[in-house]
Amino acid sequence: MRKIIISLNFVFFGLILNAQLLDNLSIGLESNTVWYNNDSETGDFFDTANNDSDKHIRSNSYLKIDYNFLESFTASVQIESYEPFALLNYSKSYEGTNLGTYSLNYRNSKLNITAGHFYSQFGSGLVLRNWEDRQLGINNALQGGKIVYDPVSFISLTALYGKQRVGFTTSEGEIFGFNSELDAASIFDFKNTSLEIGLSYVGRKEETTFLEPSFNELTNSLSGRVDYYQNNFYSNAEYVIKSDDAIKQGGQLSNRLVKPGNAFLFNTGYSKRGFGIDATFRRLENMNFFSERNAAGNVFNESSINYIPGLTKQHDYLLTNIFVYQAQSTVNLDTSQSGEIGGQIDLFYKIKKETFLGGKYGTKIAFNFSYWAGLDGDYTQDNPDAGILPNYEVGLLGFGKKYFSDFSIEIRKKWTPKWRSIFYFVNQSYNKKVVEGSGAMINSNIGVIESTHRLGNGKSIRLEVQMLNSDSTKHDWTGGTIEYNINSRFSVYANDIYNKGSDTNTEKTHFFNLGGSYTNGATRLGINYGRQRAGLLCVGGVCRFVAEATGLTANLTMSF
Amino acid sequence: MLTGGLLFAQNIPSITLKNLNGKSINVQKLSKSKNIKVLAFWATWCVPCINELDAISEVYEDWQDETNMELIAISTDDSRTKKRIRPLINGKDWEYEILLDDNQDLKRALNISVLPHLLVTKNGKIVYRKTSYTPGSEDELYEIIQKYTN
Repeated sequence: MRKIIISLNFVFFGLILNAQLLDNLSIGLESNTVWYNNDSETGDFFDTANNDSDKHIRSNSYLKIDYNFLESFTASVQIESYEPFALLNYSKSYEGTNLGTYSLNYRNSKLNITAGHFYSQFGSGLVLRNWEDRQLGINNALQGGKIVYDPVSFISLTALYGKQRVGFTTSEGEIFGFNSELDAASIFDFKNTSLEIGLSYVGRKEETTFLEPSFNELTNSLSGRVDYYQNNFYSNAEYVIKSDDAIKQGGQLSNRLVKPGNAFLFNTGYSKRGFGIDATFRRLENMNFFSERNAAGNVFNESSINYIPGLTKQHDYLLTNIFVYQAQSTVNLDTSQSGEIGGQIDLFYKIKKETFLGGKYGTKIAFNFSYWAGLDGDYTQDNPDAGILPNYEVGLLGFGKKYFSDFSIEIRKKWTPKWRSIFYFVNQSYNKKVVEGSGAMINSNIGVIESTHRLGNGKSIRLEVQMLNSDSTKHDWTGGTIEYNINSRFSVYANDIYNKGSDTNTEKTHFFNLGGSYTNGATRLGINYGRQRAGLLCVGGVCRFVAEATGLTANLTMSF
Repeated sequence: MLTGGLLFAQNIPSITLKNLNGKSINVQKLSKSKNIKVLAFWATWCVPCINELDAISEVYEDWQDETNMELIAISTDDSRTKKRIRPLINGKDWEYEILLDDNQDLKRALNISVLPHLLVTKNGKIVYRKTSYTPGSEDELYEIIQKYTN
């Protein structure tokens, strides 16, 4: 009897122990597989990065495991697999199956120490941001060490050192960083007020092959920030300077064009119940910052130290994403470019229920306007024979050539408990030459109407109709989407966009997609067949070009 | 059965995020409550996330009255779209507590890859998690909240 009790106890404690082990384990799995087809209309499958036309089936997979132990420790690994090659449009540096990131973290109330790979961000990211976006193929984690120390509740200090992840290797350049954050409001115990001050330093040290470099191996950047909030009003500002560094011109690093960079960001807003307004101004001058100087301008956004997103509204529909703006921080004397200046305004408003325009359920309105231009100034081309150094001189607040503008209004209306609609209108000007390297200014108007009907028992149907008209004979698009949710688990959809214009890449071609998804808890499987339009793929304000492709895609994500 | 479910439930990691007033909030401490806390990961640019939070906001008062639950909307917006959070939630008249996960530390620690993603937590443990939103699926979520409410 005693033996039985002992063994039962053993089993019971074993179970608890096991449960505790499992309780501290977190696993994420993501797998994206594509079977690329030869397309009679748009051409045969070809992968320019790997010079391959044979490996039609490819898969990018990520397995991440996090384990918490002894209260304060977390161990983390991410295994990545790109087999037999990575999906189209990914950097060649993602090849094969390997350990992507690993780290060991110790945390208590005052200290947070990480060895291995880590992701860090100072301020808004203008001096440093390490992040991962699998869809974009970005993982610029630092490999090294980081210490965050909070001596008192209102001060936080960070010191870090590392080399940046590039594919399964690391950058040549070394990164040093220090950050301090002070929460001034809590010292003075302000009520309903917050005042935060931040100071950061990021240095990048990379050897150069120039025999007599006219710049230092160590490039420094500094950021100072203030963030203020009181009741319904808020405001914040950040100023960044970057020390002299060689600039890449015509695809080559130049020892003759050595300039500093700077950035200024200002944001303010006011909001109360049912109303919000927000305005942002930003000026960037020569703000590219990479862990290797020669990585400047790479199409995969690899080795970037800082984060410079395009500050425009991220639209949600297929035709509102044909012309997407990308922040311009590069110096290019050929096109008289050295940065950008501009801003955006957002306005949100809810028209109250039981009013003439509000109707029974109220009406929600969102409005956005953004405008971006080049920096106005004098640009001098390199002319060694005449003894002229390449250079540019720009004014502090001069707006130069227009790069982009976007006006949008979104109206969300609930008609009955089962029927709701969204009306969306966008007016855009897109300087194709600046953003994509060739082309002219395109002005377009885009309209979208979306309606969702609930049919009961979790069934619903969603329809979208879209139109894009432009002043260019090349772009005149129509599009539509139909989605049917059979229940909360199964969903199917079809969409298509079609260009009546004469653009050689897209004319008279249906970019259609059919697909379905199955969701159960935190597991989701999506299947899609269709043709992908060539263009900018943008996530979180960072874009990269993707080539045209046709194929069958399966995406699996699981979290435990 | 319920204890069985809870016994094998994952712990919320001890990660501190800021709310919109700049106050630091430890997510583990926050979820260590006998009342249900729903952690909803969203972003201002994620349409299904907004649709889901809009739909829940219409029934939120009833849910709170009946179950004492609370929804914490964790924004994963980075510095590009973070500024839009405050006007958006006010413009939408949401009553949720908002936490900022602007470099996705918590999202990464919980191995969340697609949005929207909801975690139903109780006593610091995840009792249920789900991804994606279809109109009407908030009713199923509420059934789960009721199931775990004592």
